[in-house]
Amino acid sequence: MSDPAAQALQPRLLQTQPAGSSTAATGSGTGTSDPARPGLSQQQRASQKKAQVRAFPRAKKLEKLGVFSACKASDTCKCNGWKNPNPPSATRMDLQQQAASLSEPCRSCGHALADHVSHLENVSEDEINRLLGMVVDVENLFMSVHKEEDTDTKQVYFYLLCNFCFFLRTSLSWRAPLEGVLNFVQYKFSHLAPKERQTMFELSKMFLLCLNYWKLETPTQYRQRTQKDDGTAYKVDYTRWLCYCHVPQSNDSLPRYETTQVFGRNLLKSIFTVTRRQLLEKFRVEKDKLLPEKRTLILTHFPKFLSMLEEEIYGENSPIWEADFTMPASDGTQLGHQTVISPASVSGSPALSKKSGAGCLKSVSSSLTGEKRKLPEAVTLEDAKRIRVMGDIPMELVNEVMMTITDPAAMLGPETNLLTPNAARDETARLEERRGIIEFHVIGNSLSQKSNKKILMWLVGLQNVFSHQLPRMPKEYITRLVFDPKHKTLALIKDGRVIGGICFRMFPTQGFTEIVFCAVTSNEQVKGYGTHLMNHLKEYHIKHNILYFLTYADEYAIGYFKKQGFSKDIKVPKSRYLGYIKDYEGATLMECELNPRIPYTELSHIIKRQKEIIKKLIERKQSQIRKVYPGLTCFKEGVRQIPVESIPGIREPAGSPAEVKDPDVLYNMLKNLLAQIKTHPDAWPFMEPVKKSEAPDYYEIIRFPIDLKTMTERLKNRYYVTKKLFIADLQRIITNCREYNPPDSEYCKCANTLEKFFYFKLKDGGLIEK
Amino acid sequence: MSADTKIAELLTEMHQLIKQTQEERSRSEHNLLNIQKTHERMQTENKTSPYYRTKLRGLYTTAKADAEAECSILRHSLDKIAEIKSLLEERRIAAKMAGVYSDSDPPRKTMRRGVLMTLLQQSAMTLPLWIGKPGESPPPLCGATPASSDYVAKQGDKVAARVKAVDGDEQWILAEVVSYNHSTNKYEVDDIDEEGKERHTLSRRRIIPLPQWKANPETDPEALFSKDQLVLALYPQTTCFYRALIHTPPHRPQDDYSVLFEDTSYADGYSPPLNVAQRYVVACKENKKK
Repeated sequence: MSDPAAQALQPRLLQTQPAGSSTAATGSGTGTSDPARPGLSQQQRASQKKAQVRAFPRAKKLEKLGVFSACKASDTCKCNGWKNPNPPSATRMDLQQQAASLSEPCRSCGHALADHVSHLENVSEDEINRLLGMVVDVENLFMSVHKEEDTDTKQVYFYLLCNFCFFLRTSLSWRAPLEGVLNFVQYKFSHLAPKERQTMFELSKMFLLCLNYWKLETPTQYRQRTQKDDGTAYKVDYTRWLCYCHVPQSNDSLPRYETTQVFGRNLLKSIFTVTRRQLLEKFRVEKDKLLPEKRTLILTHFPKFLSMLEEEIYGENSPIWEADFTMPASDGTQLGHQTVISPASVSGSPALSKKSGAGCLKSVSSSLTGEKRKLPEAVTLEDAKRIRVMGDIPMELVNEVMMTITDPAAMLGPETNLLTPNAARDETARLEERRGIIEFHVIGNSLSQKSNKKILMWLVGLQNVFSHQLPRMPKEYITRLVFDPKHKTLALIKDGRVIGGICFRMFPTQGFTEIVFCAVTSNEQVKGYGTHLMNHLKEYHIKHNILYFLTYADEYAIGYFKKQGFSKDIKVPKSRYLGYIKDYEGATLMECELNPRIPYTELSHIIKRQKEIIKKLIERKQSQIRKVYPGLTCFKEGVRQIPVESIPGIREPAGSPAEVKDPDVLYNMLKNLLAQIKTHPDAWPFMEPVKKSEAPDYYEIIRFPIDLKTMTERLKNRYYVTKKLFIADLQRIITNCREYNPPDSEYCKCANTLEKFFYFKLKDGGLIEK
Repeated sequence: MSADTKIAELLTEMHQLIKQTQEERSRSEHNLLNIQKTHERMQTENKTSPYYRTKLRGLYTTAKADAEAECSILRHSLDKIAEIKSLLEERRIAAKMAGVYSDSDPPRKTMRRGVLMTLLQQSAMTLPLWIGKPGESPPPLCGATPASSDYVAKQGDKVAARVKAVDGDEQWILAEVVSYNHSTNKYEVDDIDEEGKERHTLSRRRIIPLPQWKANPETDPEALFSKDQLVLALYPQTTCFYRALIHTPPHRPQDDYSVLFEDTSYADGYSPPLNVAQRYVVACKENKKK
């Protein structure tokens, strides 16, 4: 209790009425100024008043504070505030009035004013001003109590006045659920083009802003309007709103909260219908005052927006109100507030980059293939120890299938260059790289170091390829950029000669790379080199921690960039690239976002392999299931019809227990189950993705990270179309935990308990056999 | 008999022929060894007696017969391969016709360009090498040897066709013969590039049939274009023929020509040397000199 204001004010407030009336009369013109200055808001008036009070001479200030300060003359004096023995007349303005002298005795206890303000002697002017601000606020609040006609509101004001000190110190730590309206935009409109989405986002922000300054209807009005409920819940909300949102607007001593930050869906449920009506009415009335561009937005889109929002507010299963709502599909696109990727750790020194740049790609790819060869064995060993995930394919089966698709004997004839029509675009290029026919090198010029002759030759080669393939670019311009030490080029070398390349400039601080030129010499085109080049460039950037490519593509290049995963939808905020990237007239800005977990140069190969494995597994399953049931005889025996499910083989093609067929039923079952798991006391280690900052090597060891939050998102996105997927993820949480942590660790103990718990629940819910 | 069973039969026959080849070879090997030994003995005795002369003559006659037998078996095998290839070609044409003429069939799936290019390279690589008998001169359409003036390309044959492009420019494209009308003397050809999917009706002089055999530089160098000769060559990784000069003719049967394409974007008016297979190099009728 070091707050002198609290000490001083507490006793005073206990006997509110008489003291209040005197201060109101002496100290302020607020009460009377209302009709005279209708243009000023309550808030403005309050701050005006405060400025006025702060301009008082110190003696006057002390007098004012003395009114709220208990007498300190002796321990026995019970006087809780100095009272002016010569009350000034209400008509005289307090500014003209002389300050009472410190020796002036109190009307109530007879002790001097100095005795009441002794604790303020060494207090700084700032602190005095702060205390005076509170005094003004209290006075205003007192006036509000007097003027307020609505009984409920009056009651709240009175309560607030009596417990002013309490409110001074309380802080709210509620979640921010009304921000769910922003989720609503993500949820409903994420499929829209960025521009329209932005519109919706603006509407929702406007709606929230309106709510923040909206005057709620009183509980009485509420009761009258709704009639059906007694409004107790609303009254609680209303009281809170008054104390934490409305009053603090004009009373800045009290902590203030935005309505949308501290209230949730329930309040919105109570007020939405009337607020909507009032809002639309207000906009209709004021439509001429609106800016023309806002007018269409509000008059055409807002009503529709509100109707859609209404569905979510009153709908049963709307996910947008959950505190942890996210839209994984558009995680990069959170409007307005995008996460900035950490600046890349690229060495800025061109000399260094040149030396290490050349040939490093080579080593990347070779290490990748080396890893690939090792991986299967390692996995097999690990997996043998692991508890198998329910419904997972047995490892022996996977190995067997792997054998058949990699068996050289299963291939027909000698290796040829003949490709099947559905071969991946970069298949040839990948094979040629593996055989050493083509090479990829990142090279660049350096001013500080004498350049290697070979690299200079390659740069000249690149300049020739670019200027030949891009006839519309001036040759001098190409030369300037290719030889610029800040630009680098990924060169494609065949037989020691440059046959293609991508010239790029990295902007590590801006988190993107600009692709400047990209070409393959004409007689080497349509061999997949362009795709393979871009894949190498992607891997190079992942290594250097830059995850966005930007480029201005001319009309002939758009097709190529689309095939490489570029899109015209730009997620990097304009401020990050504007002024950095070279702008070309008539060209289209395109962007590619990289996923650091994808080995791009091997991607098409991996997918092809996966397809093969799945196809084999399906074939096997089909041959297992292909089961002939004896024909039905019941019809011969006179039965006219039977339920479809009772025909043998209809229900359980994949074994029992039967899969829940109705997706909504399954969804709700899983939702319940997940909620139960999340509230389990031992679920805490698995609530969120493991942070790299806490376990730096986690993502190197754990190949398939999963957590309850991610599962919640997956569930919301209807990823769990079968219970198997769900159970597999649950089990993965446990196996990941056991893999990363020592068995006697706290984490593993949690995992053990949680595993038991959810298997019990799964059995309980009939999702697995008892 | 279906093409499949026929091909299977031909393959069985080929298998037999290959075995026979091996038998022939071991037989002639025995004989050749004998010849070698006779020569050695003659050398040590340092005189050529009539006995050896007669013996050698006999041995050589047998060896020649053996070699001819082996050769005929090999030729027989080559015929089988040609037969299989023509069967496959027939089947391809039939499938294509079915695709083109049936309304119910869905449109042909367009190939990815890269795949088309590989197929073209493949077809160049598997073009048979002409192997003549001693003294026999290469037939028309072997290497640079032109077709006879009254030659009519068959359905399915690949040709260079001079077509008018959309912008009015004349262009030599790679095309496939659909039909020939003897009364109008006009060909119907399809653009090989499925993206184009155009059918052109062209007069004879706008069509140049592509070679049907490779000429062997070791045995028939006269059937190849010579250095600096003006030709039409398929630009690598495209389906268009452009004027080019022969830079170097192939040295071995599987080698490509190295050619210099006319290209004004290079300072000297010619591209750097690029490789083009024999299959895609034809004589250029110098009608329009630049």
